[in-house]
Amino acid sequence: MNGEKSKSRILQTTKKIGELILEYFARASEAKLQGKPVAWITVFTPIELLRALGIYPVAPEHFGAMCSARNIILDYLEEAERRGYSQNICSYSRCGLGYALSGMTGLMPPPDILITFRNSCDVYVKWWQSLHLHLGTPLFVGEAPYVLTPEDLDSYVLDYVVKQLMELIKMAEERFGLKFDEEKLVEAVKLSDRASELWLETLKLRKHKPCPLGGRDSASDIFPLVVMQGTKEAVQFYEELLREVKEKVSRKEGVIENERHRLLFDGIWIWYAFDLIKYFEDRGAVFVYEPYSEAWAYRLDPSKPLESIAKKILSMGLNIDIDLRIERFLESIKEFDIDGAVLFSNRSCKSWSAPQLVTAEILGRKFDVPYLIFEADMADPRQYAEAQIKSRIDAFLEVLGER
Amino acid sequence: MTASTAISDVCKNPIELLEKYKESGINVLGYSCSYIPEELIISGGLQPYRIPNLGSVTSPLVPTFICQFASAVLQNILRLEEFFSGFVIAHTCDPMWRLYDIVKKKARKPIFFLRVPHNVEGELSIDFFKKELLRFKRFLEENFDVEINNEALRNAIEVCNMNRNLLKEVYMRNSNGKNRVNGLYRLQLTLASMWMPKKEVNTQIKSLSLENNATRTGNVRIHINGTAIYDLNIIEIVENAGCFIASDDLCTGSRYFWDNVNDSEDLIRALANRYMQRTPCPSHEPIEKRLQFMDFMIEKFKVQGVLTIANRFCDPMLYEAVHVREMLTKKHVPVMLIDYENLGQEAGRIKARIEAFIESLSELR
Repeated sequence: MNGEKSKSRILQTTKKIGELILEYFARASEAKLQGKPVAWITVFTPIELLRALGIYPVAPEHFGAMCSARNIILDYLEEAERRGYSQNICSYSRCGLGYALSGMTGLMPPPDILITFRNSCDVYVKWWQSLHLHLGTPLFVGEAPYVLTPEDLDSYVLDYVVKQLMELIKMAEERFGLKFDEEKLVEAVKLSDRASELWLETLKLRKHKPCPLGGRDSASDIFPLVVMQGTKEAVQFYEELLREVKEKVSRKEGVIENERHRLLFDGIWIWYAFDLIKYFEDRGAVFVYEPYSEAWAYRLDPSKPLESIAKKILSMGLNIDIDLRIERFLESIKEFDIDGAVLFSNRSCKSWSAPQLVTAEILGRKFDVPYLIFEADMADPRQYAEAQIKSRIDAFLEVLGER
Repeated sequence: MTASTAISDVCKNPIELLEKYKESGINVLGYSCSYIPEELIISGGLQPYRIPNLGSVTSPLVPTFICQFASAVLQNILRLEEFFSGFVIAHTCDPMWRLYDIVKKKARKPIFFLRVPHNVEGELSIDFFKKELLRFKRFLEENFDVEINNEALRNAIEVCNMNRNLLKEVYMRNSNGKNRVNGLYRLQLTLASMWMPKKEVNTQIKSLSLENNATRTGNVRIHINGTAIYDLNIIEIVENAGCFIASDDLCTGSRYFWDNVNDSEDLIRALANRYMQRTPCPSHEPIEKRLQFMDFMIEKFKVQGVLTIANRFCDPMLYEAVHVREMLTKKHVPVMLIDYENLGQEAGRIKARIEAFIESLSELR
């Protein structure tokens, strides 16, 4: 299959993401110039709240993924390593630290405040501490305790997170002389909720055969939900995306012409090796569901904005009990009629990778769904064993083909 | 002074003690780290037993890039499950968090996950942790058919405070530049305190002769910076290379016993205060509190060099090591990071590095 043909598999709306990202960063620099505080945040922090405070959020994790995808990450990784950071720690964090230590002259403006809520991993705490010590920037470390049962979302656990949000508001008001605007919060919550609703509706359309939206689309299309929550631009993007995907469904047009295998991808994408998704597609296999894509959407209740945001911070995919995670994993197998799972054992993301084998075991036992587990890093391309991974994919697809 | 037979025997083979508990019909609750209040376990009539990484290398259930320490603890939990009545795991770092997930899916015994706020500062954290401790209390009462009343809890706090005081007393004998009690011995006392019945270990520590025992070690005064060390071989390597381990900030060392629980009408609140206000684990915030503690130890124990001992995949230590180095460089205190995966296989390399470090320190003197 030639390159041009495979290129056309990507949605028109997806192609606009690159521009949207550049605009987003340009606005961050503008905000900085206008004296508006810029926050470096970990991705599952209360962005809607920051909009109501007039703080502009940028996410070093997203920056790391982008640098990796654009092949400009190595200088930052190496700078962090020169300063003593081990290659065994998260590559996003090495990129972010390397960027912070090398003058912050790229797309991401220097932070005025560092905000994190420990939810998807504990590395957030360490990474943000390190940034704080290197840059001397004020730090807010919040905790979203591991959600052990759905009842936690309506108990002292929720109350704890809501109170921390109120502390964050107080800290930002005092430090930057800002005024928290409740109306703006409600507006941001409405917009954020609408973007989530649209994205979830779009993801559901992947149940259709052939699947209209593939892994390369979903990997890019999450961006507005990562850092643009609470904006009209994000809502417009998802409206446009949904329209395009619906049209594709009505035309019965899939990502690939001859869809032979419908796959689940478990993990963060490998940003420097997007062609791996194409490698599957070229062999008749399309990704129809990823927990990662779904994790960004969360329905909010504008009548209870703070509580809603607190629930969202708590409920991000990796922060809910393993039984609840497995339940969703297994549901998706039926819902999207999946016939194989690809589990990416990501050296950088230990909180994701550690229980993967146990999950896979359950998957194999309950559904007899074949799975492939392979190891690599999401953003650091230096130890990527491409040939070896591809030969394992070939073998996996062969097994699927024989079923 | 040498460790009494019982204590050193227990440290050589802590698993044997589990067999004894089983034979005696004692309910043992396996726990993962020093954020878990042994006081509550004891007040419920159970024997707390801290699960070491000894005897297992790694678990086949997790990838090789997951901290081998957590991986070996996981392997031990599953391998030794028959000796335990249940488990409690605390939320410290990612591997320990996920260890709970895996144990929950793989073990049959009751398991409790204690959510420890990663930012230990402030009233909100203490309040939340208190509620977690109340949930833990309910877990103990419901699963082991016991009632934890104030009197039992007060007694347990007393015996644990006594243990901490005794350990600290031994420890302080090395303050102000004195070489009295070597690191191997001190670590044995602390580890035994996590495995043996508290009253028994207290009696043994009290009966120890307090003569100097540091003759086998060198004179270069070292502080050990790290997380949990159960394998005494690494301590022996350090001391045989010519070091005198004057102090440490290990969670199987000084961080285990440094602070006491204050008496209060609300004992659960008193526990929450103690565990939130002690020097935090490297996985927690604020890091400044840890650096201050290390700084205090270096001054108090007249330390000449610091060895950071970390598992090769221990995220918290790998981030922190950068800041420890920065702080110590400003203080002109030399520091070396020793990271390893498998001590048995890497002992020679580690020994050579420590010897070179000691040599450079001796030249500086």
